[in-house]
Formats: sequence, C-alpha cells, structure tokens
Amino acid sequence: MRAYILRRLAQSVLVVWAVTSIMFFMFRVMPADPTAMLLERGLTEEARQALLQEWGLTGTLWDQYVAYLGNILTGDFGSSFLYRKPVWEVLTPLIINTLWIAVPGLLLGAALGAVIGTAVGWAERGGKLERSGIFLATVIRGVPNFVIGIALLTIFSSTLSWFPGFGMGDPGATTGFARYMTLDFLHHLALPLIAVIIYFMPENLLLMRSGVVENRTEDYIELIRAKGVPQRRVAWHAARNSMLPLITWLFPALAETIAGIVVIEIVFSWPGVGRELVLAVTRQDYPVAQAAFFLLAVMIVLANLAADLVYGKLDPRVVYK
Amino acid sequence: MAASTPPRAGTRPASAATLAQLAELNQRLAWKPAARLQVEGLSIGYSTLRGRFHAVEDISFEVPAGTNLGLVGESGCGKSTVIKALMGLQPANTSVSGRALLDGQDILGLDDRGLRDIRWNSISLITQSAMNSLDPVYTIGDQIAEAIRAHERVSRATAWARAEEMFALVGLPAGRLYEFPHMFSGGMRQRAVIAMALALNAGMLLADEPTTALDPIMQSQIMTRIRGIHAHMRRSMILVTHDIAVVAETCENTVVMYAGKMAESGPTADVLERPLHPYTMGLQNAFPRLPVPGAPRQPLISIPGVVPNLLLPPPGCRFASRCPFATDLCRTTAPPVVRHGAQVATCHHTDRSEEFRAAAARPETWRNMRGAA
Ligand SMILES: Nc1ncnc2c1ncn2[C@@H]1O[C@H](COP(=O)(O)OP(=O)(O)O)[C@@H](O)[C@H]1O
Ligand code: SF4
Ligand SMILES: [Mg+2]
Repeated sequence: MRAYILRRLAQSVLVVWAVTSIMFFMFRVMPADPTAMLLERGLTEEARQALLQEWGLTGTLWDQYVAYLGNILTGDFGSSFLYRKPVWEVLTPLIINTLWIAVPGLLLGAALGAVIGTAVGWAERGGKLERSGIFLATVIRGVPNFVIGIALLTIFSSTLSWFPGFGMGDPGATTGFARYMTLDFLHHLALPLIAVIIYFMPENLLLMRSGVVENRTEDYIELIRAKGVPQRRVAWHAARNSMLPLITWLFPALAETIAGIVVIEIVFSWPGVGRELVLAVTRQDYPVAQAAFFLLAVMIVLANLAADLVYGKLDPRVVYK
Repeated sequence: MAASTPPRAGTRPASAATLAQLAELNQRLAWKPAARLQVEGLSIGYSTLRGRFHAVEDISFEVPAGTNLGLVGESGCGKSTVIKALMGLQPANTSVSGRALLDGQDILGLDDRGLRDIRWNSISLITQSAMNSLDPVYTIGDQIAEAIRAHERVSRATAWARAEEMFALVGLPAGRLYEFPHMFSGGMRQRAVIAMALALNAGMLLADEPTTALDPIMQSQIMTRIRGIHAHMRRSMILVTHDIAVVAETCENTVVMYAGKMAESGPTADVLERPLHPYTMGLQNAFPRLPVPGAPRQPLISIPGVVPNLLLPPPGCRFASRCPFATDLCRTTAPPVVRHGAQVATCHHTDRSEEFRAAAARPETWRNMRGAA
C-alpha cells in the first residue's frame, strides 16, 4: 500500500514536471515580446531590459528553463506581465471564486445524478420514469454546456430577471472575504452553480442507472430481497455496487469537467481561474497562464490518485501492488 | 500485498447488554415451530419474446412440519422456478397460479409488506453459492446481521453476536465474519449462506442445489452439515437437487419433476425403491447407488435425449420422446395422475411398473432408445 502510493506520487510528479516543461517551451517559442505593448507607451531600453531581467527572460533558453524550474520548486511563478503583481496574488482570489462554483456544483451534480440514476435504474423497465429519465439525461448531455449557460441566462436573467447574469457582485459590493457572506454574492452564484450542476449531472445519472440495471438482476440482489429487507435498502445495495464504475469514470473525467467549468465561467463572466487562464493566454500574460496550467495539471494528477484510493476504499476486492 | 480493508483478527467481547438481548432473541427464535407447506395446483408461466410457456404446470405436494422434501429432476425442469415463486422472487415476466399454504396462509398472493414479513422469518433460502450470491462490498457479518435486523429490533452488536453463533453452527470461526465474500473459498461461502439462512430460525428452509457448485468432497461435507443441523433444529426443508443419492439420505418425501410437470411423488423409500414412472427409473440409473456389499456395481446409464422445448410441448406425455416404454397412447394423450397408496405418478402405464423396473435396470433398454425419438 505505502509502496504503491509512493510510486503513484512519483509518477504524478513526473507528469506535472512534463506539463510545466511543455508550458515553458510553448510560451517561449511563440514569437511575442511581452514588453512590446509597454514599449509603445515610451519605455526606455534600459527599463525594458530591467523588466526582462525581472521576468526571467534574459540569458539562453536553457538558463531560463533552469531558473524557471527552480522558481516553481519554491512556489514562485513570478509576476504577471499585465497586473505587475506576483502571480499568486492574482490567482488566489480567482481560485477561491472557482471553488465556489466547482466544489458544490460537482458534488451536487454527482449526488443528484447518483440518486436520480438509482431511482431510474430501479424503476420498472420500460416504464415512464425510466424513459423520461434517460431521455432528459441524454438530451442534456448532448447539448454543449455554453448553450445550457446561455439558455439559463436568457430565461432566468434576461427574461424573468430573477438572477443577475454577470459577474460575482453588484458594483460597490463589499470586498475581501466578507463579500462571500452576502446575499448579493449568493444571488450571483446561483445561475453559474446551477449550470455546473446541470452540466455534470447527466453523465453521473446515466452511469449510475446502467450500473443499477446491471446489478439488480444479480444473484446477490435476489438473496437480499429474499431476506425480507425493505425495497429501499435492496436498491441501496445495487447503488452501492454501481458506485464502483462511477468512481472510475468520475475522477479521470475531471480534466474534461474542468474544461466545462472554464466555459461556464466565461458565459457567466464569473471571475474564476479558468476564465483568467483564457484571458491570460490571449493577453500573453505567460506567468499567469503557466501557473494556471500548472494548477490544472496538479489537480488532474491528484484526482487520478484520489480515484484509485477511493476505489480501494469502496471495493474490498482491490489490492494495491 | 494486503487488501485495502484488513480483516480483524478476532471479535470484540460482547457487552452485558448485548448478551442479555442475545439470550432473549435466541429464546424467542427457538420457540418457532417447524412449518408445514401445502402446494396445490401450482402453475408458473413465463412470457418471453418468443412466446408464453408454462415452466411449471399443476404441481401439488405437501411438506409436513419437521420433514424434508426432495425436489429432483434434470436441469431446466422448473425446480428453481418453484422455489422462487415460493419466496415471491419470480421476475416480472412471470404469472403464478395455484396455492401454497404455509401453516395455512397462502403465500403466493402476498403483497410487498406481507412478503417482507414471511421472508426469512417463516421461510428462508439457501442458494447455490456461486461467487455472486453474496454482496461483494459488504462483510459476511454485515450481510447476516442485515437479515436479522430486517425482522428483529435488536442492536447491531446483538445481530453480530447471533451471526457469530450461526457461524459456530456451520463450523466457521467468528473472526471471519469481518471478511468479504471474495476472501472465502467456495465451501466457506456455502457455509456462510447456510448460516445466514438459519439466522432467524425460519420454520421452512428452501435449499436450491446448495452443493452443486462445489467439488464432491465438499458436497458431501456440506450435505452432512445440513443434515446434522437439520436433525438438531427440526426445521422443514425443500431440498432441490439432481442427486438422487442425497435425497435418499436426507428426505422423507420426494417429488420428481420432468419438463415442468410432476412425474412422480411420494415417500422417498417408495419412490426410489419402487418407482412407478420411467423417468424416475432413468434418473436412478444415472446416479451411483450406495454400494451394496457383495452385489455387482451398477453401471451408470444416462437417459438419452434432452428435455423438450417448453414453448412447444409434445401433445402426449412429455417424456415420450425419451421413454423406452412409450406407446402410441403416450405420444398422443396426456397421461393421467395415478395414485398407488401414498405414491403418485403421471403415466399411462403405472400398472406395468414392475416389468419396467426390471427392464430399466438393463443398459440396453436405454441404449436402444437412441434415435427412436
Ligand atoms: N425468467 C425467465 N424467463 C423465461 N424463462 C425462464 C426464466 N427463468 C427460467 N426460465 C426457463 O424455465 C425453465 C425452468 O427453469 P428452472 O426453474 O431454472 O429449472 P431448474 O431449476 O429445474 O434447472 C427453463 O426452460 C428455463 O429456461
Ligand atoms: S406415459 Fe408413456 S411415455 Fe410417458 S412415462 Fe409413462 S410410459 Fe413413458
Ligand atoms: Mg435450478
């Protein structure tokens, strides 16, 4: 078990290193000079050189790479070209904003999907609940998630005016941590959060349903029924066993899921790290983009590791080697 | 290396409260009398994509309280269909008619609530314990405790303590209650399933081929154990098997099924010593007899042919295509149910059974059948 985790951690570090290196070279290869736009504002050559120095853009590519890796090891991603602030200072509040929609959104999406999927899978084959459940889930899954976002915006923001459709707070709202505690914030949070839930639920629902459908005819379910256990409890056994395939899908699918959340952040102008990542790339703010990609890589690698461990917890047959 | 959830080495000592509750539970369960089951005119049909057919047709038998009934027949004859219907476990495409009186109460038409009440309380099930008859993600102890707590308002600890006692009864160490099904061998799983079936001391046990998945040595060990427990606890049981020798040793009464119909039934001694139905005679030939000292070993003769397609049952006797004694009458007209004392057979020619028995003991009788169908 310990050897297994150590080996997986080593693999993870390797993957993260590879991703960061690719990022580094990709951004250097792009023929863009981040000082260009500053030059237009009358930057002197000395000042420009000083900036390049500060940003670690002097010397050979190899020197830059070594310095870059060293900095990352100490958690230093440099300063944003655009904001002229350390990258972490730029990203930290954005990360928190993203977590506000991602964590509850994914958890609720998975939980709702699992519960509804169990109900649909346990329902009479070919019955109303089964057919409408599968139909809805398949339709939602087929719709690109920016369409879901725009539909939500059109209905609940533009037409009904129930929810604001932009950003995280009205102008003049409180700042700092206190802002998360306001009704205004929750009001803004609602639509993007719902979008994440709707986006993430169908796949969970369908996977759970097919698992339950498969399990409900197994011999062990028959024996549990024979024991005189209440229906709900019997369905729980089928659901519990169906979680295993769900978990194997859930975590590795995180990369794709995160891409979906980036889209939702953009549609709702939610000031999260995903939206900032896209902006940073278009603005050629490489330090920010690099750090954001680094974060993504770390998250995805950790998610895969977590999937393995959670699976082992849920399935007693799993042996770590 | 190690599995993710290591089993505990032993069990925790039970608290005084648990022990008191356990004693009370044990006493209450011990008072349950053995059950009597009367099955009358049981027919069971399946609707499938290829049509509706009767997997079981007009079966009647009785299991007097405290006795065992053997239900024998080749595979596909409808034995499991009968057992499932008695537990109310038939799949959705099934129609059931007839009556099954468990201590006078008809258990075939029960609603969900009624079924839940009788299951495991009054009638419990020993399944063939292939790998997947237990939930792979729960410990065996949890699965036994679940059965107990579905019917008795006792603490988890008490249910586990009762499960420990059941484990002792089937010869498994209590510490292994903490293990998962995949950590058990086939024989151990079978014993665990038996322990589970005994947990509420139901008056009627249904055992559907409890040893089929096991190797012969394990089979006889498990059967010995079932017989031992059974003699000790005085329950009633239906034992489904295609092993005639097991029936001879275990069951007071026997029902022989063929292609969904009852071929023959009666006291085991009569049915096996003086079979009236040629199918029973054929089944006997197919199994090794208990060796009689001095007598020559009987050769094993299997009945040629296969069980007919139930979607298109033959017009006359269902066994006619395989029966060495079939006549034209047999091929056109369904045979009557004929009673000889306590013994009942569905055959046109029960009056010639003595002649048939002599002929059936000779291998060539069956060999000449080949191609006759
Ligand atoms: N759910 C079902 N749907 C349709 N046919 C079934 C179903 N279950 C069993 N059968 C058929 O019913 C017949 C009797 O099966 P079964 O009761 O399992 O026999 P046995 O237990 O004696 O081997 C077989 O022909 C089998 O294919
Ligand atoms: S009725 Fe005829 S075919 Fe059927 S078992 Fe009796 S003798 Fe054989
Ligand atoms: Mg069977």
